[in-house]
Parts: sequence; C-alpha cells; structure tokens
Amino acid sequence: MLHMNIVMTQISKSFGKTEVLHDITLTAREGEILCLLGPSGAGKTTLIRLITGGLRPDTGEITINGRKFPNMEALRSIGFMPQNDAVYSDLSGYDNLLFFGRLFGLSGAELRNKANDALSWVGLEKDKKKLVSQYSGGMKKRLSLAVTLMHNPSILLLDEPTVGIDPVLRKSIWDRFEALRLEGKTIIVSTHVMDEAVRCQRAVLLYEGRMIENDTTGNLLAKTAGGSLENLFFAANKAGDAV
Amino acid sequence: MKGVIIRILRQMGNDKRTLALMIIAPIIILTLLYLLLGESSYIPKILVAKDFPAVLLTELKKQDVEVSFLDEGADADALLKDKLADAIITTGADGMQIRMLESGNSKAALITTALKNASSAVNPPSSMNLTFIYGKIDSTGFNSLGFVLLGVLSFFFVFIISGISFVRERETGTLERLMATPIRRISVIGGYTVGFGILSAVQSALMILYSRYILGMEFEGPVWLAVIIMVLLAFTAVSIGAFVSIFANNEFQVMQFIPLVVVPQMFFSGLITLDTLPYGLGNLAWFMPIFYGCDGLEKVLIRGYGIGSIWRDLCMLIAFILFFFVLNVLALKKYRKL
Repeated sequence: MLHMNIVMTQISKSFGKTEVLHDITLTAREGEILCLLGPSGAGKTTLIRLITGGLRPDTGEITINGRKFPNMEALRSIGFMPQNDAVYSDLSGYDNLLFFGRLFGLSGAELRNKANDALSWVGLEKDKKKLVSQYSGGMKKRLSLAVTLMHNPSILLLDEPTVGIDPVLRKSIWDRFEALRLEGKTIIVSTHVMDEAVRCQRAVLLYEGRMIENDTTGNLLAKTAGGSLENLFFAANKAGDAV
Repeated sequence: MKGVIIRILRQMGNDKRTLALMIIAPIIILTLLYLLLGESSYIPKILVAKDFPAVLLTELKKQDVEVSFLDEGADADALLKDKLADAIITTGADGMQIRMLESGNSKAALITTALKNASSAVNPPSSMNLTFIYGKIDSTGFNSLGFVLLGVLSFFFVFIISGISFVRERETGTLERLMATPIRRISVIGGYTVGFGILSAVQSALMILYSRYILGMEFEGPVWLAVIIMVLLAFTAVSIGAFVSIFANNEFQVMQFIPLVVVPQMFFSGLITLDTLPYGLGNLAWFMPIFYGCDGLEKVLIRGYGIGSIWRDLCMLIAFILFFFVLNVLALKKYRKL
C-alpha cells in the first residue's frame, strides 16, 4: 500500500473577504505525481504555499508524513520550486546550490558532492561557475530545479515549473519528474497546461478556489467529451455563468 | 513627446505613494529646517572675571546673553565641560581672553556675535582672544564636522544597500524559497545583520583611516573606538533598512524612505547644537540612532574621550539594533508562521 505523504483536510483560506480556497480535502501519495490543474487565480499557488508553511489555513488541517504541519522537521523533507526562478543572480549556479544545501544541514564533501550531482542531473555542470545573471531563462529554470532536489527531499512541490519553457526542455523536465516519481518521491505540480496532466497519475481540478475534480488522470479523461480535460473547465465555467 | 508626458503623469497618478512623497517630503523637510535654523531662543551663559571693564559689561548685558561674575579660583575648563557656562571671559594686557568649550558650533557663534556687538559700542574697541577646550579657532569645517560626515555616510549607505537587498530577496522569490527551508527566522535576520555588519566594519575602518591619513582629519581619541561606534551605527542601519523594506514593494520605494528616515536624522547629527534649538526640538534626538553615533564619534574624535564616556551612546545603539532585530524577526512571520 502506498504511503500517504501529504493529507489536507477541509482546508479553507481567505485573503480579506476573498475566499481563495474552499473546503479542500486531498491526499498525495508516495511515488505519484499529483497535478493541480486550473486557470490563473484558481488557488493552485495558495494551495502549494499552505504546504510549504508560507501560509496557514483559516480552517482545516495539514499533515505531512503523519505529523501535523507546520513543523520544522517536515520542512526538511520538502523541496519547493517557486513559480519564479528564485535563485540569486549575483552568485554562480554552484554557489546557489551550496547556499541552499547548507540550509538543509549539508556540509563539507557531502555538500559539494550533492551540489555537483544536482548540477549534472539538470545538465549545468559546465556552467556551474558562471554567474546566474549570465544564464538563459531555461538554465535558470533548471538551476531552480537543482536547488529543489539537492537535499534529496521525499516531497516535491513544483509551482508551474514549465512556464516560459520551450517544448524540448519541457519534455526533458517532465522526463525527470517521472524518474523522480519512480524513485518513490511524492510530487505535486501545479500547471494550467492541460497537456501536462496526462503525465500525472492523479489530477485535482481547481476552479475559483473549489475542487471540482480529484481523480486519476485516466478516469478524468474518460469522463470528458473528446478526452480533453479542458472540457471539464468549460463545463464548470458554464455552470458558474448559469448561477 | 506628448505621449511620454501623458504616460509619465498617468503613472505618477497611479503611484499615489510617490506622488505623496514628492509633495509631502519636501514640505516636511522645509518645515523642519525652518524650525531648526530659525531664530534661536537659546541664551548663552557668560561668566566674566571680577575685573571685567564696567563699560563693556554694561554693553554686554544689553545683548541676548546671561552675564554673571566668575568666582575667584574657579576652574574655568571644568565649568565649561559641566555646561555651567558657555564662555568664560577674563581680561589681560592683550585684551579679552575668551574661553569656550568647542569651536565651530552655533553657541560659539552666538557668543562671538554678542561680544563683537558689545565691544564695538565702546571706545576704543577691545581686542578678543578666543580659545577652545576642543578644537581650534582655525579648525576647518571638515575637521570640526568630520565626525558628522563619518556617522551619516556610514548609516546612509548601509541603510540603502540592506533595504534594497531585502526587497530584492522578496521580489525575486528567494525569500519565499528560503522560508520553505528549515532555517529559523532569527537566523535569516541574524545572517543579514552580521553579513552586512562585516562589510560595514571594513567600510568604517577604511573611512576612518582615509579621513585620518589621506585627508588629514585631526583625531584626538582612539581610532578603534570610533570604528566600533561606526560599526554599531551601521548595524542599526542594516536593521532599519531591513525593517523599512517591509513597506516597500521595489527598490525605488526603498529610496523613497531616505527623506523620511535619513534626512531628518542628519539635522540631529551634530550639524546644529541641539540645546540651541527652539520649541524643545532638540529632544527629538533621543529617538535617532544617528544622534547617538555622531555624539559618540564627536566625544572620541574631537574631545579625545575614552570608552568610559560613551557608554550611553553605545548602549543606545545596541538597544536600537535589538529593537529592530526583534521587529524584523516578527515581520518574517508574514512568510512563515513557524
């Protein structure tokens, strides 16, 4: 039986009078990629920020690896890749990795080895001494992924990791996610690109802060007319307009 | 061109904060300068020797000064240092011997003006011989006010750099990423403060050494003590810079805090003698870190005092650092509640 790494129970969150998440209950399991799908403003980033501890839910509870969140120990098992690159442009790629690695308690030869492994995993070993300000957009994205992975977290939270990425690099990044899944990691990916959902085991469809679907990707595709997940949003949109 | 003009005006109209700053900040600063540089209500205290010429004394009493006789055998310098008198005048064969605490401040200017007016009313006018406990009559403005420049500059640059650096951390998302790691909030702020503190220590040492050995500024006290004061002042600047960055969304908005945070403090840095200020405005200095930094620097560099005389300044700077440190740690709760 697969281990439930993340359990969110009846989560709601508002900013002022605007409710951005309403009564969300979901789980993310070991060795699966869970896709958070939804248009801009659906609540995907808020959901991820709740799991990183950047926000606290107004109601409901989050447990990570069986422990109530937030707690420092749980943060050690999380690798977070924010929407923007979030790396220091006035440091080299290698120095960025050393910095973030130290925050997870890595040091000495282990730190250097893991930094080098992460760089080679994303194909940046030749450019590791270059300042990040000299990197292309795609290289920054890969470095950001390396920072997320270098401490070997069991949970990966990836907020729109392929935005602004060309199709070749996007495919390569998704191949890497699949490799990480096979290693047993729990991966939550937010995206508004419906095509990417077919690479996930399960998908959660968010619309205006509400969870309109939570099922395996196969089941979701079977439910839609023409096998397109986008139709689920169009249906939700029509229902909203009718109300 | 018309299009650019309209765009600029629209942008400014949408940025209410910049607009308000452009209008309000100069008015605040002008008002402050009007109050600080306006007519002083301060009445200098002058002690004269018993044999002071009666005719000159009569003329002196007509001026805006408080005149009384000096007790025989009294220690003139001790009276000046204890601020029981602003000037002590004795007479000798060479004319009036005027002793004051320090050169180049507004008290000395008030006293010399009063004395010149009184002296010109008698015939023949008396000659005046000015000496100071601290500073010389021919001290350059740079020598007299160099301590102000050292304090203000070290605060200013560190404030700007730390403020911008912290805003950039938020803008680029690295702060959000940082707070998703097991780092403690206190470690983030501590790392910032100490990191910039090390840079500011180097900056302070360079500024002091350059002023002393290249520009020839005259220092009376120990240079290492001046460096300690400047480093503490710079630590305060880091903490305040990080704090104001909470209220700024970009680098430009950090710059907007200069007229609010740095400029008013400059007026209380020693440029103007505080007890000559009207309406008790001098009391505002107690809330300003630059005042303590520059006060300490003046005591060490101009008066030659040791650490025993600047405890208050050092303690207050440390208190400011701790106060803003705690505020910054609490402010990071916005990014992680834990």
